[in-house]
Parts: sequence; structure tokens; C-alpha cells
Amino acid sequence: MDETGSPEPEERAPRGRAALLVAVTRTGGFAGITRVWTAEPVEDEASEWIALISRCPWDERLDLDPHGADRFQWSIRAQCAPDEEREAELPDRAVTGPWRELVDAVRMWSTGRPQTA
Amino acid sequence: MRHAIVPPYLLARIAATREPHLAHAAAAARATLAAQREYRPTRSRLRLTIDESGSLVAETAPAPDRTIYDAQGRETLPGVRVRGEDDPPTNDIAVDQAFDGLGATFELFWDAFGRTGIDDAGGTLVATVHFGQDYDNAFWNGEQMVFGDGDGEIFTGFTSSVTIIAHELAHGVIEASGGLEYQGQSGALNESLSDVFGALTEQHLLGQTAAEASWLIGAGIFTPAVEGRALRSMIEPGTAYDDDVLGKDPQPAHMRDYVVTDSDNGGVHINSGIPNRAFVVTALELGGNAWERAGNIWYRTLTSGTLSRTATFAQFAAATVATAEAEYGEDSEEVAAVRAGWADVGVMDDGRDG
Repeated sequence: MDETGSPEPEERAPRGRAALLVAVTRTGGFAGITRVWTAEPVEDEASEWIALISRCPWDERLDLDPHGADRFQWSIRAQCAPDEEREAELPDRAVTGPWRELVDAVRMWSTGRPQTA
Repeated sequence: MRHAIVPPYLLARIAATREPHLAHAAAAARATLAAQREYRPTRSRLRLTIDESGSLVAETAPAPDRTIYDAQGRETLPGVRVRGEDDPPTNDIAVDQAFDGLGATFELFWDAFGRTGIDDAGGTLVATVHFGQDYDNAFWNGEQMVFGDGDGEIFTGFTSSVTIIAHELAHGVIEASGGLEYQGQSGALNESLSDVFGALTEQHLLGQTAAEASWLIGAGIFTPAVEGRALRSMIEPGTAYDDDVLGKDPQPAHMRDYVVTDSDNGGVHINSGIPNRAFVVTALELGGNAWERAGNIWYRTLTSGTLSRTATFAQFAAATVATAEAEYGEDSEEVAAVRAGWADVGVMDDGRDG
């Protein structure tokens, strides 16, 4: 049930220095179980990730789903440099298009590779 | 031209009867007639039984009208229609589980509370299965129920427990009854009521008393890889799972452990443990079938028309006591049981002083 962890650039990267950090936190849903996925890609992958991140409408403000129940809520945070952090809160219905691509990429990064800790 | 199994004159006769032992049948007939006046094609069934005196008893009961859609792994609603009310079972487990689960929920609401479906007018119950890819959720979108298949690693399909199907349908009933704002304490009450009707549907289906019931929500939803029995335990909130990946079930069982958080609409799926346990304690105090008295009190409170959309736990608790007093009398064991339930979780003082 912890909120997303510290946004500090990580120091334990085993495959070279992480160029950036993207964290996806999913709360709510029928189960009410919070899930957190993070991606910390290295320099070689950075340009693809920065492209993914910049395609997302970070400044768009969306209300929570006004009707219904048991929907997911998403919190997405991207840190491309120590002083450059973006954050967005999204209702489940908004996780489409570029947001969906970014979320899927983070989940794949975090589960598809050996975990660092 | 209306299609009805029971001719209107027979319905009218049954509706008009004053015989106490036919009260249920009379109510059913009145509901059917009332629905027909609105030109709603409400479905009904005729049950013929022989009573103790050997008389033939004709009893009408409304029947559900279910439509199941298949999203085919996409996130577009409603999807492709795959089973209607008159269609036979498909070979798709999720489709048939959803169909049967909606039927079981309809039966509980009709049999226990005399309600016909989400809108109480026999409207179609719509559900979509196979929503999204590896989708770890079931939800109510304001118009219909939606079920994912789970990711196969943590969650199996969300139609595998009737408590989940009934929980989602109950969200529709709550909304149709005036609603409870999905935030903070009123949101946790919304969640708790859905769990209550979810558990009652399973108990009604299995013929379990309050003492026999597991009071688990979503039992069997986890894969064998997860250390957990279910998503929630209404009788022992906070004990449903304790797993390396998922962590420990965070539900409190008492007001002193109320969780303040911005996540999950203010912890609606977390703090629902408190009113959940209040309901179970009430049901266990009364014994027997939980839907008959405890369930009736909770349902009548929800549908009274006077419950605030932003009700707190304390306001809802007071409303259940008022309902119990009105239904069973101020000095009834039902009122004492309701007070005991809310006292157990620290929402009310033990009400011996009235």
C-alpha cells in the first residue's frame, strides 16, 4: 500500500547508468491492490523512451471516471534529468494511445527483464 | 401484442389475494402487472407447487433478461453479443459463468428483497467478458458489468467467483437507488454494500447460513502462485492474503485502524473492511440466513430514499438502526444485533443504553 517510492536517480544500476526513470502506479480496481512498475533504461535506450514520454499529453487534466465503480486509477511519473520531472494522474479510460504505449513499455521493462533488486 | 406465460387475469387474481401464505406470490404478480403497465417486456416464470394442504399453488416470479458480450481481448464496449436469455450455454467458460452469476444475483434480489434487477423494472442485465489483454479487473461502468480474464500469473478470470459478479451488479443497484459518492467513507460504504450483496448471493445460491458461510470475496481468484485465500475477508478483514508480491491485505476491521490515503478514491476498497465486519457481526448475532434479516435491513436502508450520497459510516450505521426499528420494533433482537455489529467495529457505542 506504499505510495510510489523515492524519485531519486538510482545508484545501483547493474547494466550501466540509468539515463531516466519512469514509474507507473496503479491503484483501485476491484481488488484495491496497488501495483508499481518502474523502468530505468540505460543511455542506449534513452532516445526511444524520451520519444515515448514526449508523445504523452502530460498537461491534460482529466477528471476521475464520474460513473461506475472498481475502475483503476493510474499515476505516471517520468524523470528524464535530475531537475526534470513530469507527473500525471489518469482515470482508467484515459490510458489509451501514447499513455498506453508508455504504460505497457514500463510494465514490460519491469517484468520482462531480471529485476535489479 | 405482449408475450406472457401467465395470462393477465390470472396475474390479477393472484395479485389481489389477501391470503398470508400467498403474500410472496401476490407481490410477484403485482410486480409483473406493474411492469406491464409501463409496456416493459418483463419476463416472468410460473411456478406450480402443491402446498401442505394439497392445494395447487400458482406462483409467478419475474425472470432475468441477460445479455453477454465478448470484447475479444479489446477494450471496446460492449463487444460482440454471444449469449442472450433464451440461448443455450456456450462452450466459453467466462460467458457461461457471467450468465449464471447474473442469474444467481437476480434470484437473490428478487427472492430476498422483491427487487427485479438493477432498475427494479426487469431491465436487461448486460455484461462483457474477455475485456482487454491480461486485464486484472472487473468493474461497473455506470451502464454495464465488465470482466477481465486476469493475467494468469496473479489473477485468474474475474468471472470465476459469483461474489465478484454479484458485487458488480450490486454497484448498479446502489447507483439506481440514489448512489453513494465513490470517495472516502461513502465510497467505502458503496464498496461494502457491493461486498454484502456479493456474499449474500453466494450464500443464497449455496443455501448457506451466516454461520456456515466463508464471508470471502473473490475466493479462488488468485493463481496457486499467490499466498492468499481471496481478495477480502468480510469476517476477518485484513487476513485474505499475505504475499511477497502483493503484500498483506490492508483492510482494517475497526475504526481505530481507518486508513487515510489519496489512493483508491480515498481507500474505498480498504476501509470497506469496517462496515463489512459490522454486517457480518450483525448477521451472526441473528443467525440463520443472512439475507433474511441482516440483509433486509441493509437493503431497506440503501433503498429508503433518505440515505445521503455522502453518508459517513456513523450516518449509515444510524440509518440501519432506524430501519431495523421500523421493520422489527425498537426493542427487537434485530435492533440489538445491528447495534452490536456497529459497536464491534467502533462506529457506535454499545447501545445497551439505547
